[in-house]
Amino acid sequence: MVRPLAALVAIVAATLAVAGLTFSTSSRDPAEFTFVNAAEPETLDPAHMTGHPEFRIAIEIFEGLTRRDARTLRPVPGVAHTWVNSDDGLRWTFQLRDDARWSNGKPVTAHDFVYSWLRLLDPKTGAKYAYLLGGLRGAADFDGDTSGGFGIDRGVYALDDRTLVVELEAPIPYFLELTSFFSTFPVPRESVEAHGRGWFLPETIVGNGPFVLQSWRVGDRIRLSPNPEYWDLDAVALRSIDVLAIENPTTALNLYLTGAVDWLPSLYPVELADILRERDDFYSGASMIVYFYRLNTTRPPLDDPRVRRALGLAIDRREITEEVMRLGQLPAHTLVPPGMPGYSAPQSGFGFDVPRAQALLAEAGFPGGAGMREIGILYNTHEDHKKIAEVIADQLRRNLGVHVEAYNQEWQSYLASVDAQDYDIARAGWIGDYMDPNTFLDMFVTDGGNNRTGWSDPAFDALIAAAGNSARAGRAPQALLELAPEPAALLQRLVKLDAAGNPSARRDALAHFRLELLHQAESLLVNRGYPVIPIYFYVSSGLVNPSVEGFYSELEFPDGSSGANLQDLHPLRDVRMRAGAR
Amino acid sequence: MGLVEILVLATACGALALTVWLPQRAVRAVAGLWLAAALFVGMRAWLGPWPAAGLGATLAAAGALRLPERLLRRIAFALPSLVLLTFVTTLLMYLAPGNPFANERAAPPEVEQALRAQYGVPESATAFFAIYVQRLALEGTLGPAIKVQGRAVEDLLLPALPVSLSLGLLALLLAVAIGVVLGVRAGLRPGSAEDLSNMGLALLGISLPNFVIGALLIIVFALQLGWLPVAGWGGYPHLAMPVLTLALPYAAIIARLARGGTIEVMQQDFIRTARAKGLPERVVVMKHALRGAILPVVSFLGPAAAGIMTGSFVVETLFGIPGMGQWFVKGAINRDYSVVLGTALVYFSLITLFNLLVDLTLAWIDPRVRDEL
Repeated sequence: MVRPLAALVAIVAATLAVAGLTFSTSSRDPAEFTFVNAAEPETLDPAHMTGHPEFRIAIEIFEGLTRRDARTLRPVPGVAHTWVNSDDGLRWTFQLRDDARWSNGKPVTAHDFVYSWLRLLDPKTGAKYAYLLGGLRGAADFDGDTSGGFGIDRGVYALDDRTLVVELEAPIPYFLELTSFFSTFPVPRESVEAHGRGWFLPETIVGNGPFVLQSWRVGDRIRLSPNPEYWDLDAVALRSIDVLAIENPTTALNLYLTGAVDWLPSLYPVELADILRERDDFYSGASMIVYFYRLNTTRPPLDDPRVRRALGLAIDRREITEEVMRLGQLPAHTLVPPGMPGYSAPQSGFGFDVPRAQALLAEAGFPGGAGMREIGILYNTHEDHKKIAEVIADQLRRNLGVHVEAYNQEWQSYLASVDAQDYDIARAGWIGDYMDPNTFLDMFVTDGGNNRTGWSDPAFDALIAAAGNSARAGRAPQALLELAPEPAALLQRLVKLDAAGNPSARRDALAHFRLELLHQAESLLVNRGYPVIPIYFYVSSGLVNPSVEGFYSELEFPDGSSGANLQDLHPLRDVRMRAGAR
Repeated sequence: MGLVEILVLATACGALALTVWLPQRAVRAVAGLWLAAALFVGMRAWLGPWPAAGLGATLAAAGALRLPERLLRRIAFALPSLVLLTFVTTLLMYLAPGNPFANERAAPPEVEQALRAQYGVPESATAFFAIYVQRLALEGTLGPAIKVQGRAVEDLLLPALPVSLSLGLLALLLAVAIGVVLGVRAGLRPGSAEDLSNMGLALLGISLPNFVIGALLIIVFALQLGWLPVAGWGGYPHLAMPVLTLALPYAAIIARLARGGTIEVMQQDFIRTARAKGLPERVVVMKHALRGAILPVVSFLGPAAAGIMTGSFVVETLFGIPGMGQWFVKGAINRDYSVVLGTALVYFSLITLFNLLVDLTLAWIDPRVRDEL
């Protein structure tokens, strides 16, 4: 038996040697700052990014015309050092700084932005977020060909290497914010054209952010190090950053608790919420995400708005936020999360009111739930969604006497079912792309790709269209006034608009008017149409090492006020570790 | 399913069935051809088309002439089954609801069209199959991954494979060591206290899911004692808990198989003979009984090795290991068709290889099997 034993030892030794070769070098030498990114980023090409894991890395390795200040998350000078918006709000002129350079040392010019934005808008690129720049003048007709002038002297163009001009169809109140959103970040033309689909891999990537991509091991970690060519390198404190692609909440928490991770956003077992929220290093705050149920308005009995409203009235959202989720989530009776600048939510027809719900149901022909078929609640397979669906099914059974059954489907099947409107009630979540109510409302226009409820209301469509085109809405569209639910309020606004004399007052009045239109649109959703039942507003929460400085889980504004970090966004440029932290 | 799909399925099944009945000469020719094709596709990326073709043809010819017929028959069987596997997997993927470009946010139809064209994912399964096979044969690539953009499927699987292979092999060796010792000792004295305790342990090992075992290990060794890192892949201490977690359920199964094998062998005439000629019990067990006792274990090891070495999604996510297992799960969840096919091909290759190794090992251990080869 000696020879087999020797063979065994040899096999074990060889295996250990192979294992040794596969170890990631970076985990032997921990980064100065490590965070868990919850998922492997799908891409690091700004034009193809869609999610938060990508956003977190994009702001470190690229920089847009503006960047977000860590303390306020408001746009501050990035590649552009100054900008001017014309009086009518339609033309933006950006002056780019002289010392903005790519990580290969070449200057970042206005032409780089023109190239990157045209690439985003080109249908052949297949960018899912191209619509964010859809408001540029002529963007709707752009098919990749600049012979029509778009990109040359229309829409977006370079006056010279340092001057970028952007023209809009209608004023976009959140336009400046878009210039620090990942989709509008510049991409290095040479690298993109030379290396094709994989240009952003560590071997070939060229960036212009405070950090560069040093290595990327899929399923393990991304290592970032300071970009020596960055124009504000002196401000960058961290010498290395590790971004972990850990998807298991327990593992993520274990890593944080043993000090291997400095920042853990949102990824920990929900069961531990009560214990974690007692910790000093735990943070939570409002976020720009809403949890809601879609109702299939084409299927009886849900085709009756009274039935839809009755279901929404019979749900006690506090039981869900306080007994299921328990992290300070806010019960939602409207769709747009709180915190949108200048926006106030409408009164909702969805407040918890069981007698009212029962009365409505009886009125619709189902007294005490009698005669109504069984209703299904579809959710995508996930422990939280399951708990919530079961609580709601139980509440509806108890409060209305209707038969409700919750059932799950795995993600892709769920997507296909919802898309085909093959459901009665379906769980949904929506993350706002920018700080504006429109990002939560415009999906419910008639036949909108994300509507998926079959609901349609011409008045709603008119309000959304008018809000998107508020520059012209100032000329009192009679049709809109006829459709609007509160024409008197609209008319009052219009009178004010006409009275506004100077350009900037008129621009402000227009912005208010636009928000008023959106307010009325949302009112149609939660007071007349009821195609969705809002459930709660998410909180963003996490754990952060107390030695980390420059990390703002609550925003601090110059006027001394504070606000929620709605996007849980933390630029690491200005983050530093307190001396002696490690 | 359309006519084309049915025709392709029928042809492939026919080709498979045929390999069993082919005469020896034909087997040599067909297997040689398959070998040449496989070698060409495999080496093309590294050597370029002409050297790959030359070397492939030479090696294949040598193989076709020298290798035993039984082995060649397997090779002749492998390629049609590979094609069949790819085709059926493609059909099933397309039958599943959803597609790799579906998202919570509906993209405009022209965006989906552009992406389908870029990634070579048409709306029909047969068209995808044609693109996939063509790309594999002519470019030697498993196609672009869609949810991990910028990389080909082999760029995802190749770095992950040695991680899972080494982890799996260590776990398997540990499982065999634990399982055979416990199982044989239990099988020598059925009904004894040791048998009951060993089989109790085995039952526990089979019934405890690995995320529970893993979690228990983490609590004890990483969080309480602080001996081992909780997760990650950067040094030998990172190996300990995942190897143990992977090994224990397999050790339990092996223990039960070894016990059954031992009980059966110990009742054989040749054991009585060995004892009658006065051999000490230790020698009877080690020299005569063990060989027979572990035969069921060895048969089990083929599929077990393929399973354990392609990684475990649960163990990998629990310990944060960049292995293969994640792609089996993520590929399917994301409907990332090329990733699904890539993992299926890797699994197919490993299981074919390990089954072959098992047959060779069985022949080495058991003379009765040797004669059949």
